Formats: sequence, C-alpha cells, structure tokens
Amino acid sequence: MQTLIRSILGGLALGTLALGVGLAMLLAADGMGLGGTLWWAVAGTCLAVTVIGVVSSLAMGRAIRSLSRELEHGGASRLVSGPRWLRSALRALNEHQLRHQQREVAWRTREQDLEIRARVSGDARMQAEAVLEVMDDAVIVCNTLLEVISTNRAAGSLLGFDPETAEGRPIAEIVKDPMLRRIITETLESGVDVEPRRGELMLADGATVEGNACEVVSACAVDRQGRASAVVTVLHDLSREREISQMKSEFVSKASHELRTPLSSMRAYVEMLVDGEARDEATRQEFYGIIQSETDRLARLVDNMLNISRIEAGIIEVDRDVVDIHDLVDRAVQTLEPHAREKDISLHTEIAPVGTMVFGDSDMLQQVIVNLLSNGIKYTPEGGRVTVQVDADTLTRSVHVAVSDTGLGIAPQDAEHVFEKFFRVENYKRVAKGTGLGLNLCRHIIETVHQGQIGLESTLGMGSRFWFSVPMGQVPARMAA
Amino acid sequence: MSRRILIVDDESHIRHVLSLKLRNSGFIVDTAVDGEDALHQIAAMAPDLVITDLQMPYVSGVELCRVLAEEPAHADIPVIILTARGYALGEEAVGLTNVRQVVNKPFSPRTILEQVHRVLGTMFESQEQAA
Repeated sequence: MQTLIRSILGGLALGTLALGVGLAMLLAADGMGLGGTLWWAVAGTCLAVTVIGVVSSLAMGRAIRSLSRELEHGGASRLVSGPRWLRSALRALNEHQLRHQQREVAWRTREQDLEIRARVSGDARMQAEAVLEVMDDAVIVCNTLLEVISTNRAAGSLLGFDPETAEGRPIAEIVKDPMLRRIITETLESGVDVEPRRGELMLADGATVEGNACEVVSACAVDRQGRASAVVTVLHDLSREREISQMKSEFVSKASHELRTPLSSMRAYVEMLVDGEARDEATRQEFYGIIQSETDRLARLVDNMLNISRIEAGIIEVDRDVVDIHDLVDRAVQTLEPHAREKDISLHTEIAPVGTMVFGDSDMLQQVIVNLLSNGIKYTPEGGRVTVQVDADTLTRSVHVAVSDTGLGIAPQDAEHVFEKFFRVENYKRVAKGTGLGLNLCRHIIETVHQGQIGLESTLGMGSRFWFSVPMGQVPARMAA
Repeated sequence: MSRRILIVDDESHIRHVLSLKLRNSGFIVDTAVDGEDALHQIAAMAPDLVITDLQMPYVSGVELCRVLAEEPAHADIPVIILTARGYALGEEAVGLTNVRQVVNKPFSPRTILEQVHRVLGTMFESQEQAA
C-alpha cells in the first residue's frame, strides 16, 4: 500500500513538475515581449511539453501502480514485468528480488536448523542429566575455572554435599577431600594430551563415610578447537566390593577350616590302619566307624554349603506341594527317637489338630525340623526333655513350629549370631560336633525359600526355644481339586 | 625314660588318634579339650612337649603358648601347633613363644611322630627302642 501511494505521489509530482515547467516557459516568453507567430510557437511548444509531461506522468503512475499491484499480490517469490521503457529498471529490480529470495530461503533454513539444534541440545542435556542421576558412580564435571557445571546424586551422597545447589560453586567448596581436589586440579593442568588420570583414593575429610576406598578417573573434555573445556571426574565406590571380597575370603577361610577338620580325622585314622597301629580287631572296627562318621560329616558339610550357596544364588530347585507339617514332625521324631533314647531324653509333640498344611518344599521343611530337633537333643544334657509344638494361626494364615529343650541355653550375645554361617557357640563345642552351617541353612530355607520367619528365645542355663513360621500359602487350583 | 606329651584339641578324634600313635611309640600321653584345660594340666604334670590345636574355645593355641612363655617354670616347654587354617602363622603370633613347629591339618600321624622326635631329640632313643 505504501508503495502504491509512493508511486501515485511520484506520478503526480512528475505531472505537476511538467505543468510548472510549461507555465514557467509561457510566462517567460510573455515577459520577454515575444509577439505574433513566435509567441504561438513558444506557447505551442510549452503546451506540448506540458501535455507530454502530464501524459508521461499519468503513464508512469499507471505503470508503477500496476508494478506495485504485482509486487503486492505476487509476493516476494514472483518476478515482475512491465512496459518496455521500464525494462532495465525491472531487470535490476528482479535481480534484487532474486537475491532477496535466496537470502530469505537461507535465513529460514538457518532458523529451522537452529530450532532443531536447540531442541536436540535440550534433549541431549536432559538425557545426559538422566544418565548421571541413574549412575551409581559419583560424577563431578567442572569448568576451566574449577566451578561445578554438573554433578549427580551419587556424588552428593559420597562426598557429602547437596547436588541441587552445587552448580556454579567452586570445586574447593564442594570437595573437601584434599587429594581429590588435587587430582581434579592436576587433570586440568595436564591438559588434553595426556591419558585420563586413574587411581585409588581413600576418601577422608567431608566424605559421608570416611575411609571409603574409591577408584577415581579424571579427564579433560575437549572443545571444537581442541582445548580443555571441562574436567570430568568419576568416582567408583569400592567399599561394597571390598566388603563382599572380605566376606568371600572369610567364608573360604572358615569353610576350609571346617572341611579340614573331618578330613584330618579321616586321613589320620586311615594312615593308622595302613601302618598297623590298630593292633586288635576292636580298635580297627572303632577306626572304621570313626572314618565312616567323619565321611558323613564331611558330606553333610559339603551338602549344606552347596545348598546355602544355591539358595543365595537363587538357583535351587524348589519342589512345592501341599505339605502337612504334622507329618513332617512325626517323621522327624521317628528318625531321632533312637538318639534321644541314648541320652535318656524324652521327646514330646503338641500338634494342633487342623490347619497344619502349607504349600512348600517337603524335603527342605523336613530338613529344618530334623535340624532343630537334632540340635535340641545334642545340646540337652541326659535326662532332659525336648518338645515340638505345631500351631495354626488363622489370622496371619501361617503355621508355627517351635522346638523347646531343657538344655544349656544360649547367652544373648551368642543368640544374635546363631543363624550366621560357621558360627558356633563356644561352650557348645565341648558338648557336640556341628558344621556351623545347619542353622544358617534353616534360615535360608524358611526365610528365602518359604518367605517365613525363624527365631530363637533362650536364657542361659534355662534351655532354648527355636521357632519358625511359614505361610500356609495359596494352594494352586489343580492341586486343591 | 619316657617323655610326657600333652595333646590339646577340641576334636576328640584328633586327641584319640594322636594319643594312640604316640603311646604306641612309648610316650606318656595326656589330653586336654581346650587351652584352659591344658593350662591346668601343665601346672599339674609339667609335660616335656605340648601339641596343641590353634583354634579352640576359651583359650586359643597361640594364647596358650603366650601364657606358657610368660611363666618361667613352663617357658622352656616346646610346642607343636596344629592348624586347619591352611596358611602359615604370622611371625608376631609365634615369635615370642616357644613354638617349634607348625603342622597343617589334615596331617599325617607319622609326620607328627617325626616332629616330636626331632623337637625332643629322641630320634636316637626311638631307634634304639625299635632295635
């Protein structure tokens, strides 16, 4: 619209100018006192100039109006045409138009590109932050001024700072451990041409757990010009690995000790037989019996170790079925009755008349009952009493089994460890042999395999009551039918 | 003259088999079930040699050796240690005691007999007896 107004005004201005020139020439001729034919000639010429000026200005105005219309309606993408006398101006205009169009296309492409980049960069940052958050390793990224750019939750909990407020703060405020600060500073000073710095670090000041062993890797991030733009430091907490390694080592040491004990007896007695040291038949028979019982002990120990290890690894085969705890207790009492009789120990059962069915592994539950009952007999002095109680708790839908004895009892400081691997109550060692794994296996069978509970109530010198409870469980329809 | 040996182990089979092996070779053998029991027996009988297990309730083998070393009357009694730990004892554990030998379990009774002769210097006597 503005273009149109400008062209009309331009046309009018040109016409007015031509008219003005004509009139001025007429007045000048009149003023000079020209007369007759010459005056008419001058007046005619002036009129002709005026008419040509007006006609030209009108034609030019029309051409410019049409051009403006074309430009307005055709938009920037269209080239314009016009009368021949305007051709050279239009060529220049069209060339300009073409350049303008090309620049506009380039700008739009660049704008779209920037939009995409901004979106991708935002997504990438969010993804990077998500990766940092889910990582168990502590990550600290700082710029070349040693200010924190990015960090994660693991770093906050390992080094004892709030990761939400860490961004922008100097590394010296965040990392209290001097050695770690030194590693980060030296990484930046070493620049980009060196391998990442690796090492182990014992965290000291400020760390949530002082003395935590950590594996540290620190390296420079490089910008497009190949210069260091940031220092990325990753800390891998080794304390859990060390703990597991120590537990494994302790287990191997204890297991080795327990395995060597029956093996020692077996080797020694066999050698005595080979050397003819058992000089009469009765002694030889005694030796054979010892070798046999020690072989059984060794086999039991290996079985227990393997079963515990399988349960812990979650690879034990569990054969679930409807099991009546009442039957299992009867069978265990029947098996151990001769041992109890040898020690003049009376065995008693108090079993609820109904509701003693559970859905579980019969052999494993039998092993638990035999183990608890056998311990009761082993650690109860002659003439004592061992009782097995079975109750159904309809409220919690579980079956409770308790084995009570009138034995030595267990001190509170020992009671909390009796279900641990290879733990043996010191004063029990004099009374009877054990693998130190029986109760640990019981706990695994009850708690891990059957999601039940196992425990102990005892007073030193007053006997013990070992108990467990297992959920009755949901019997599958095909089995209930 | 027969030498007196005290065997200390909480495992009855080990006490039994070693006693028989050493008695068959002419030694007088006493047994104790743990370190505490051993200290009572040593005070009463003054053995020429103590063979003790390392890992025992109440008083361990190393503790038993330390107590013996601190007691002038028993400081010269040589000790052979039996261990099921499977690795050598540290110098600090045995350095201040009168431990002469450390034998790993499972052991051979023949080896124990040889060690006993070596420690007591009775190899010659035993060969004479055999002849």
